Amino acid sequence: MKRTVKSNRGKPSKPVRTKGGSASTGTIHPVIIYPFKQPADYGDLEALYSLVERLGADREKYERPITVVDRKTYYSQKKAAPFLAFRNRTLARCGDILDAWCVDTCQMWYAGLGAAFERGKPGDVYWLIPGDFNYGAAAGREVLGRLHDLPEIILELDQHLCIGEIATDHNNSKQLIDTHGTFALLYNWFPAEAQAIRQYTERPRSEFFAVRHDFLAEVLTQRWYPYEQTVVMLLHAIFKQRRISRFFVGNISDLPEGRESLASALQQVERTERVLKTLWRDRHRAQSGWIQRYRELEAHSEQIRRTALTILQNLLPG
Amino acid sequence: MTLYGYQKSMRAVNFICHATQAKTVSLVGDFNGWNPAVNRMKQMPDRSWLITVELKHGHHRYAFLVDGVFTLDPQAQGIARNDKGERVSLVPVS
Repeated sequence: MKRTVKSNRGKPSKPVRTKGGSASTGTIHPVIIYPFKQPADYGDLEALYSLVERLGADREKYERPITVVDRKTYYSQKKAAPFLAFRNRTLARCGDILDAWCVDTCQMWYAGLGAAFERGKPGDVYWLIPGDFNYGAAAGREVLGRLHDLPEIILELDQHLCIGEIATDHNNSKQLIDTHGTFALLYNWFPAEAQAIRQYTERPRSEFFAVRHDFLAEVLTQRWYPYEQTVVMLLHAIFKQRRISRFFVGNISDLPEGRESLASALQQVERTERVLKTLWRDRHRAQSGWIQRYRELEAHSEQIRRTALTILQNLLPG
Repeated sequence: MTLYGYQKSMRAVNFICHATQAKTVSLVGDFNGWNPAVNRMKQMPDRSWLITVELKHGHHRYAFLVDGVFTLDPQAQGIARNDKGERVSLVPVS
């Protein structure tokens, strides 16, 4: 992993004013996940990085932002002038670049949050910002104006995890996957926790979130499951009775990267199932007779996944 | 719920509760110590309940007390936990 970030450990705390006027010692660490595929037009990224630049300039409240760039993106674009110009002029100016070889986006999250965590201290907040959304559109710009609420809610209201929720129509692939895949599988493997999660959010796989230092320490140092980290963090927050909050950030869509296809939707459902199975085994394998219960749940899980496949096949383009 | 007006760091915020059958509704939150006597809401001609409260810049937790029953605002922009661990509604003031 190639790093250009520096540790700030030992740096004196900077006060942040809270709504009550009391000083919190925490600062906010923005972590931006650079899009894996490059857009034809950089308007969305330019809109995002105009926000990132403003954050980086506010040194009282924010730590220097970190942008995580997959090395595969770099190598696929290393001769592309627009990418190199954007990287060298904008990314480098607005914060630190963390170049990392990553299997998938979740590993980019892990690398970025981990690097920020090593700079951080108790009381700090880590704010994940996905790069592949239409921030240049009117609705996207409105969302950019609201995203800062996520870490501020944690600082001001002493929460552990704040999930940003976006609005989508009922036939949006994210909505369909979460309704027929994510929640159906959660209700099978972790029924009580699933009900608790749904009291907060309809978007348990949201890519918009902020997390407090002590809670990030808990989840970072546990086994990092390969997919769907937001679901895993929500489950851990419920297991440990941590304070979860949810905030509506607006109407925004991801940039087209094939996620809306049936094959991609099925892959997302399969990944969720895989991670829930693994997490369930990790939590129950010390109990006698766990394998019988596991087999029952697995049989139900397969039925749920097959039903989700049928529904998604009926509703999404092949 | 809508926001309007601006006066230094305070802002007037409208809270609306659509409990049309209720006899009493109060607004409780961080800003009034969760005391139902402080912000009693007024019933409007359409039978919904309204109150306008001046709030500081930041995020505030609140709920409605509908005939004494602690009730979340379905129109709230967010949900959080209060100091008792209860789920409550969230309003940003900028």
